[in-house]
Amino acid sequence: MSVEHYHGLCQKYRGRAVHITTHDGRTHRGVIQHVDHGRVYLQPLDRTRDLGGFSYGAFGPRYGYGYGGFGFGVALGSIATLALLPLFFW
Amino acid sequence: MEYTYLDCLSLFGVGGAHPGGLQLTKHLLAQENIDENMSILDAGCGTGQTSAFLAEKYRCHVTSIDFNKMMLNKAKKRFTSLNLPSNFIQASVESLPFNDEIFDIILSESVTSFTNPSLTIPEFKRVLKRNGTLIAIEMVLEKPLSEQEVKPIINFYGVSQLFNEAKWYHLFERAGFKQITIENFGQQFDETNVQNAADFSLSETIDEQLIEVLEEHEQLLNIYKDILGFRIFKCYA
Repeated sequence: MSVEHYHGLCQKYRGRAVHITTHDGRTHRGVIQHVDHGRVYLQPLDRTRDLGGFSYGAFGPRYGYGYGGFGFGVALGSIATLALLPLFFW
Repeated sequence: MEYTYLDCLSLFGVGGAHPGGLQLTKHLLAQENIDENMSILDAGCGTGQTSAFLAEKYRCHVTSIDFNKMMLNKAKKRFTSLNLPSNFIQASVESLPFNDEIFDIILSESVTSFTNPSLTIPEFKRVLKRNGTLIAIEMVLEKPLSEQEVKPIINFYGVSQLFNEAKWYHLFERAGFKQITIENFGQQFDETNVQNAADFSLSETIDEQLIEVLEEHEQLLNIYKDILGFRIFKCYA
């Protein structure tokens, strides 16, 4: 789906927890903090991972990923799926 | 600093942090005949998701209390941004700062479990009007557990004890409620309905240790998925 589609969806889901998969197979769980024309910024709900997968932060922003002023940024164009996260709290 | 589960909820500012979320809240409120003259107490209002829904939808008198100052501040911000009239009080539900018999409905959305229920439940009964209703969504133990097995759950969540359905019923009955009904709620989370999803009022910085607390919570949920459940108790004064 288009960047415009995900831009709209991310606006609508601001302040909510979402699960995002990107075209390169990575997954992100986080709370949407901000959306601009190119990226959605998340407060991650998972710890920084540096085993086997990827690491964000430690090596600076890679293409499509990186921290900005609003948390962890994911390029809208890299999103394959985006869904609300069914979190359960007592 | 060691963060607790409740620290985690308040720093993440989780709105609707109770089983069933806002979806269940709406479902329960729709069953009551709420009008503008009613006084409703949102006991343990958290970031005020339910209070705001009550004020917007029913325009009734909503009193919102919480013991946690950070939660209350986030709830106030929510009300300011929605331009709603607010009545927030920082207080413990174990010792309510109200006169007797003033509320028509009290909501306890996974709140009593986190307090001493033998103090809280009689307080709810005291401030409810005659014929008023307490609606409580609370954690229940579905299967008996040994004291040893209960420990990690109690320690992590900071609840005083874990009660089964019968024990809750007994506590409500002992506090003098005339009639008590118990319901289950099994509705699935609707992944497309953003209105019913938990909303987050994040604090400016989220320590990575808070994410660890969240992960531990998710692990416990998974381990105890057949042992910890919840019920809706409707208690008529």
